[in-house]
Amino acid sequence: MPFKYSGYTGKYLRVDLIRGKVSEVPTEEWRASRYLGGNGFGTKILWDEVPAGTDPFSPENRLIFATGSLTGTIWPTAGRLEVIGKSPLTGIYGDANSGGHFAPELKYAGYDMIIFQGRSDRPVYLWVEDDNAELRDASHLWGKTTWETERAIHRDHDDDQIKVASIGPAGENKVRFASIMTSGRAAARTGQGAIMGDKKLKCIAARGTKDVNVASDEFYEYAYKIHQQILANEYTPNTSRYGTPGLVTLMNEIGRFPTKNFQRGDFEHANEISAEVIERDFLVKRTGCFACPIGCGRAAEVRKGPYKGTYTEGVEYETINALGARAWNRDMASILKGDLLCDSYGLDTISTGGGIAFAIECFENGIITKKDTGGLELKWGDPEVVLQLIEKIARREGIGNVLAEGVRMAAQKFGKGADYYAIHVKGMETSAQDPRAQQSYILAHITSTRGADHLKGFPCIDESGYVDAAVERYGRQYLPEIVDGVSTKYKPMVVKDGEELGAIADSAIVCKFGTQFPPCYYWPELAKGISLATGMKLDVAELKKIGERIYNLQRCFNVREGISRKDDTQPKRILVESGSGRAKGYSAGPLQDPMLDEYYELRKWDKKTGWPTRAKLEELDLKDVTDALEKIGRLPES
Amino acid sequence: MAKKIVLIEDPPLKTCVGCRTCELACSFEHDETFNPKKSRIRIARKGPAISYLVVCVQCLKAPCMEACPTKAIVRDPKTNAVVVREDLCNGCGACIPSCPFNAIFMHPEKNIAIKCDLCGGRPACIKYCPQRVLRYAEQGG
Repeated sequence: MPFKYSGYTGKYLRVDLIRGKVSEVPTEEWRASRYLGGNGFGTKILWDEVPAGTDPFSPENRLIFATGSLTGTIWPTAGRLEVIGKSPLTGIYGDANSGGHFAPELKYAGYDMIIFQGRSDRPVYLWVEDDNAELRDASHLWGKTTWETERAIHRDHDDDQIKVASIGPAGENKVRFASIMTSGRAAARTGQGAIMGDKKLKCIAARGTKDVNVASDEFYEYAYKIHQQILANEYTPNTSRYGTPGLVTLMNEIGRFPTKNFQRGDFEHANEISAEVIERDFLVKRTGCFACPIGCGRAAEVRKGPYKGTYTEGVEYETINALGARAWNRDMASILKGDLLCDSYGLDTISTGGGIAFAIECFENGIITKKDTGGLELKWGDPEVVLQLIEKIARREGIGNVLAEGVRMAAQKFGKGADYYAIHVKGMETSAQDPRAQQSYILAHITSTRGADHLKGFPCIDESGYVDAAVERYGRQYLPEIVDGVSTKYKPMVVKDGEELGAIADSAIVCKFGTQFPPCYYWPELAKGISLATGMKLDVAELKKIGERIYNLQRCFNVREGISRKDDTQPKRILVESGSGRAKGYSAGPLQDPMLDEYYELRKWDKKTGWPTRAKLEELDLKDVTDALEKIGRLPES
Repeated sequence: MAKKIVLIEDPPLKTCVGCRTCELACSFEHDETFNPKKSRIRIARKGPAISYLVVCVQCLKAPCMEACPTKAIVRDPKTNAVVVREDLCNGCGACIPSCPFNAIFMHPEKNIAIKCDLCGGRPACIKYCPQRVLRYAEQGG
């Protein structure tokens, strides 16, 4: 019988890596109507199947590759992949999201999702083609970089259009922030690649010729309208031309560009690592993800100097900051080289850069010495330090073996006050938004369900004042504070809304370029688009409820693991030190608690513990979750 | 006058980014579904930067027409496009290797060859192409 909703294939795979068994399961109607896809699917499976205290590096952990209800259609940016698993970096809920072309191919091959469980005793890969999937030996691929793996798969199967999601040596070595790569695009955060390595799963290779159907013909014309809406937005041409690196100059000007391990929010050499420099000296050609009207990607090449021959997909704003300003490194060619190394070995550039800056500052303060670093002098502004540490981390060699655990665990190992220099929330290294200069991020980083990260709340409107979007989305009554970067007023409301919008974007699955930045379309368009594609009758209220349900369930997963209000905090440096630029005189300390109070109140979570209440969870039809939390004493009294 | 679909680029900025939106528009226009394997226009990607266009150039002297044993490949009198008549095509595939541009494909379900038919004069791929690099050009231009 065909699946009730269009847009889905109506089946998914469960792969037991212990027995080497692949089974096909019909997608459940309730799963689609209550959790939509992607992020929602993965969240529900983690809650149901990964009990509290499960070691992320154990056969009991799950690793889920999910597509969404719009994946494979012509909806703008509907090509993204969502990967979900309990994070080895943070020990709580984890997910990573990537652009590229892999997710649509998986759907064309006939599957909404793949759940991996168990652990193989030898390297394997999953070959998926037109309603069939099988595990194959990957001994010959083990040890290869992600680019090499992709090429080998193309050669072995005699087809260079096969889409591959693979790990490199970093994932194999279980570096806790290892990424999963698809043709130079990364599902990077929270160490999903390390779970793959632990399960001895080298890659998934997919090829499909099946249809993705939509419920209504009107979808095709409506998607065209949204494409045009994105193209007509005043910020789109800039995003297309410069990609995320276009933010370097802008963020540096407002003191939001983390520099020297968050000692400052501006970098005096920012103009040497800007988008203009990339375009002038390195750009080969713009590139884009599946069905995307923006095309923010770029291929870049280093044509002279010591890093000549570097040829990479990217580089993104986050990577420029992480491998550049964060380590006081002003050498753009070395940043491109570092980007290529991270992509090839399969490392999250954000956490890698966070670890490098942390190590340099520990060295500067005598917490570690040349004895710990194998003779390497860790100093600010030395491109070779950045590149050598990337190599060491990927191989878990010497100091790299400690840094491969992430800054939180490395700081525990170093002792002597190293934790002050470990810039993270819940174990995940903070992304490149100095929250003191855009204060919505004081909250967004700490309420993100996967640790310090920009893409959960993704509160963009106070970045540099998107007045029109703020008025359209929230109303005129919140001006001017709502668009003021150094005001905390109304930001809890914006962050909560963004987290729910983001949960839907990650479940549909579409890019937040469009939903949040540039702010081109919003709840009404998503509700209409998903309804036309799937045949569900979703209005804005119903869609918001699904988003809120997904986000609350992620929080409940974390609460079950022991997370509470005390963990929702910025690192000490951000709490006590002043920012720079427009953030001069601001530290997060006095601002954080009032924001949290207001946020919990909006969420109907208990202010003392930060736990979701029975009333809220039952409103979201999560009674079973409520009961489970009550049983372990993690449901607030009232 | 014969026309064809071409890619007009000025890299690094004005370029096909390989988003394959054209494939989706083509497959929906012809088969009312989203399936790149039903698309008559294809973008092949390789490595970080390379994306190249595969689509019929509407040869004035078309080898596929000559290769077809059932005379299923004909010229559309309205657009001069080289088109496959589904009712005459027997799915033998003789046209496929005859094309110097690899621009004829087998339909993944129906036993027929598929190729660009210029959508009867208003190509969907051109309408959708977000980078505006797919153009409708004069044959021989």
